Amino acid sequence: MTVAETTGGVVLRRALRRQRARVAAGIALLCTHQATEALVPVAIGVIIDRAVATGDVSALLLSLAGLAALFTVLAFAYRAGARLAFAAVEHEAHATRVEIVSSALDPRGRRSGMRDGELLSVTASDAELSALVVRVAGLTAAALTAIVVAAVALLVVDIPLGLGVLIGVPLLVVALQRMAPLLTRRSTSQQEALAATTALAVDLVSGLRVLRGIGAQDHAARRYAGASRHALDVTLRAATTKGLHLGLTTTVNGLFLATVAGVAGWLALQGQLTIGELVAVVGLAQFIAEPVQTLGYCVQLFAMARASAGRVARVLGAAPVVQPGDAGPPAPSPSRLALDGVSYAGLDDVSLRVRAGEILGVLAYDPSEAEALVALLAGRVPRADHQGTVRVDGVPADELHIDAARAVVLVEQHDVALFEGTLRANLSAGASVDDEVLRAAVRAAAAEDVLAAHPHGFDRLLTERGANLSGGQRQRIGLARALVADPPVLVLHNPTTAVDAVTEGLLATRLAEARGAGTRGTVLITTSPALLRITDRVAVIDRGRIVAEGPHELLLASDARYREETLR
Amino acid sequence: MTSEPITRHLLPTATGRQTWAALRTELALLPGLSAVAGTLLIAAAATGLVAPWVLGRLVDDVIAGTDTPRVIAWAGVIAGAAVLAGLLTAVGAAVAARLGETVLARLRERVLDRALHLPSATLERAGTGDLVARAGDDVAVVTNVIATSGPAFLGALLSVVLTAAGLFALDWRLGIAGLVAAPAYAVALRWYLKRSVPYYARERVATGERAQATAEALRGAATVRAYRMEDAHVARIAERSGVARDLSLEIFGLYTRFGLRINRSEFVGLAAVLLAGFLLVRGDLATVGAATTAALYFHRLFNPIGLLLFESDSVLQAGASLARLVGVTTLPDTAAPAGTEPTRHDRGAPAALEVTVGQHRYDDGPVVLRDIGLRLAPGERVALVGASGAGKSTLAGIIAGIIVPTDGAVTLRGVPLTQLGEHRLRREIALISQEVHVFAGPLADDLRLADPDATDAEIAAALDLVGATEWVRTLPDGLTTAVGRVGGSSPRPRPSSSPWPASSSPIRPSRSSTRPPPRRAARARATSTAPQWRPPRAVPR
Repeated sequence: MTVAETTGGVVLRRALRRQRARVAAGIALLCTHQATEALVPVAIGVIIDRAVATGDVSALLLSLAGLAALFTVLAFAYRAGARLAFAAVEHEAHATRVEIVSSALDPRGRRSGMRDGELLSVTASDAELSALVVRVAGLTAAALTAIVVAAVALLVVDIPLGLGVLIGVPLLVVALQRMAPLLTRRSTSQQEALAATTALAVDLVSGLRVLRGIGAQDHAARRYAGASRHALDVTLRAATTKGLHLGLTTTVNGLFLATVAGVAGWLALQGQLTIGELVAVVGLAQFIAEPVQTLGYCVQLFAMARASAGRVARVLGAAPVVQPGDAGPPAPSPSRLALDGVSYAGLDDVSLRVRAGEILGVLAYDPSEAEALVALLAGRVPRADHQGTVRVDGVPADELHIDAARAVVLVEQHDVALFEGTLRANLSAGASVDDEVLRAAVRAAAAEDVLAAHPHGFDRLLTERGANLSGGQRQRIGLARALVADPPVLVLHNPTTAVDAVTEGLLATRLAEARGAGTRGTVLITTSPALLRITDRVAVIDRGRIVAEGPHELLLASDARYREETLR
Repeated sequence: MTSEPITRHLLPTATGRQTWAALRTELALLPGLSAVAGTLLIAAAATGLVAPWVLGRLVDDVIAGTDTPRVIAWAGVIAGAAVLAGLLTAVGAAVAARLGETVLARLRERVLDRALHLPSATLERAGTGDLVARAGDDVAVVTNVIATSGPAFLGALLSVVLTAAGLFALDWRLGIAGLVAAPAYAVALRWYLKRSVPYYARERVATGERAQATAEALRGAATVRAYRMEDAHVARIAERSGVARDLSLEIFGLYTRFGLRINRSEFVGLAAVLLAGFLLVRGDLATVGAATTAALYFHRLFNPIGLLLFESDSVLQAGASLARLVGVTTLPDTAAPAGTEPTRHDRGAPAALEVTVGQHRYDDGPVVLRDIGLRLAPGERVALVGASGAGKSTLAGIIAGIIVPTDGAVTLRGVPLTQLGEHRLRREIALISQEVHVFAGPLADDLRLADPDATDAEIAAALDLVGATEWVRTLPDGLTTAVGRVGGSSPRPRPSSSPWPASSSPIRPSRSSTRPPPRRAARARATSTAPQWRPPRAVPR
């Protein structure tokens, strides 16, 4: 689908088109089911009329056989139809989900303007809700069929009575539907309050040890009780509204039934209706409310699907963040990575050069300026958003194909992201790498403890986001992963903040050995003196500008501010 | 929540009898409300029986050739019953919700309170995994079932019982005919429950794994891109989504097969009632009207019985969750502030804190600490140094009174910690461990956790002390910035018998906190300005 014209409507139409075979067959079967449902009260009337009232055995056998046939068609039509419709929704939701994830993980980044959490909720629930348009189509068709069948049956029995029922029922249902928005609103806020209460409980209990350490359990319990009471209030409001709606529905349906029964009874008394017809009319009058309610529900469902489809479209149609060029991998140059007069997000006319074989330290006094530098070096900043030029091996970064740029420069985030899977899979990041290479990288990152402490070695399983490792272990595994990738230019951002001093010293020495040789360039954006010590040169950024540049020891000796900032 | 299997289920689970007893106790606390709710619900279900009965009488009267006023009178009875039923239904639903939800709110608050005040020993042995699952998932399951299916389930149950009674009141032989369907329904239900419950557990796991893979990839998108693993992650998510989808399809298949069995039971019951009616009318033992009423009664039962059957598994699950919740409430309560205050003249004692540990071991494990003697004078700062595994954290736990040593004692100004009581103890000794947890919500709330009454100035001073003032300034909303992760626990998605959509609950938007390290210089300042007016503390690294 083209990026420019993605709207909620497009997403919905596409869902129906993609699932058209299932939708068409499902609709036919669901319509059959609803038609037979409508005939059940009619059948009861007929059996009372022809068999029970007459005492005719053959009529009874015949009608019971007919009833069996009716139920068989009814049951199988529902089974097959509902399965097809459900499968259509599930397949469509799956396809949409995969598209959303593909788009969200677009190598160029996408400007959907959504945070991770929002994106997650779009993949989890909006993908499914937008696919419900298929269900809307099926339910609407089936409900209309049921109404038509019931209408024909009523009109065959008695035209004025049939017309009365046909006009009266929709009017009543529409009137009752007027409460629907209120009901939806109340139950939405109820669900939100309950979800918030649950999330709070999970959060508090997950941090239980921390709470106990500082003696905050009582306060936490009070906070939860407050949330729980709020949820109770909201729930009771919702329950009262629901009860009111239920009561009103009961009354209105009952009054309508009384009217129909009265009129039909009078007609039967006049001899215009048989007893069976009386029973059938009353049964149909009760039945017909169901499909009409379904139609009302479909309207709400459609509104929901459309809103979700709008959010899905926002993700699928989002424009890429960066517009990479198509130049192939550049030839290694003496200046591997360079910023020429770059201004961006606090950085002001910064020029930097990472030479082949060099380890460059960058100390930004303001953490947000370090973040800006990381974003620039990672190629996440579109050309239009910054001034100056970022060059990779002498070539402007935005002229390079994304694969070419990434093959040269690798940025390992401060906030190391590990993934569920084996240690090996995490370290090799999808590449096929020899265990010896992994072992060397783990050693260089001083992360042998992660390996040694576990019987399965590289096959050790990491849970989601590496949650079964400590923060320091995660950081070191992230570093080892970067060393396994062995990129021509490696950018590390505060890689040792959760690592203890002894290990950090070891790590720094080994890192220098691993990266210091050959034509590779390394950038350490850090405040750690242990890491700055292994650099060839440190550039100091203060208020967006490079204020000093030189060897760590020299800066320590000559610059009081530098000394203070790197003191430990 | 971690996805590591919880192998240690050391928290108690209540038996069925205990669970019922706990519920009865709760209901007994609200006797008036319980009685009113019960009466209203039964009355509402009973008024629902009037219409079919009247219709049967109407049929008889029409056959007998009655007059118009009588027909109008019958219609009037139906109308009157409708108004009454509506009133009773509305008030009954509201009162029943007030009862059920109040009991539930009290229960969940007590569960959390007990969980937060779990004795240290129990917590250390049981771990937090099971506790999180109970306070989160189990509460959510029970709450959702009570709020969404509860009223309908109860209404359906009452209406089935009363309609069956109505059938018998009409004619005992028609009642027995209706009961013919019961074994068919029972067989269908057994067939379904045996299969569905394990299936739903598998589906929960599958959707959980899908959500996990998605969350990981999206939150780690920068890393995924940096290592060019986009395709691999999309493929993994697609695979898991596919597994979850296929499982959902299988479950829906099961569900429709159950529907088929229910339809069959409906036919059996309806045919039996019609046949019995036929025979009774032929033998002059019942009127056509009675047979009509019976058929209408039975037809009326289709929806409530279907609802009962389709909701049975979620009700069973809610019951299991409830048993786990009641189990937590049976744990001893340590919240009560009890214990000895260190008296004023205790302060003259030579050492503020004195630790002697002969030895300590966890359960029957190896000895992890031995022959420790440690004294902390007021104002003194002590660093514990040791290789990892040396027992620093264990000793810290013992000093803080979180762990009771196998052989040894800790006294604060001469008073053993064990006599201080949990409440007093926590106000005297704080333990900040390497375990970091950012509680979701505004940053200021997080900072005020231990001291809800802290002033803005105190908060600012604390932030300054740890060198975080500048970092807070860079936050979008300063101290009111939402921090931490909110991971809503999702009730299981399921195909629904009503036309309401099956949807998994949305994962709530969350903001990850990328917290830069406190700057080294500030950290150095912080350690040298440790306040003198607090009890001494030991700081394990």
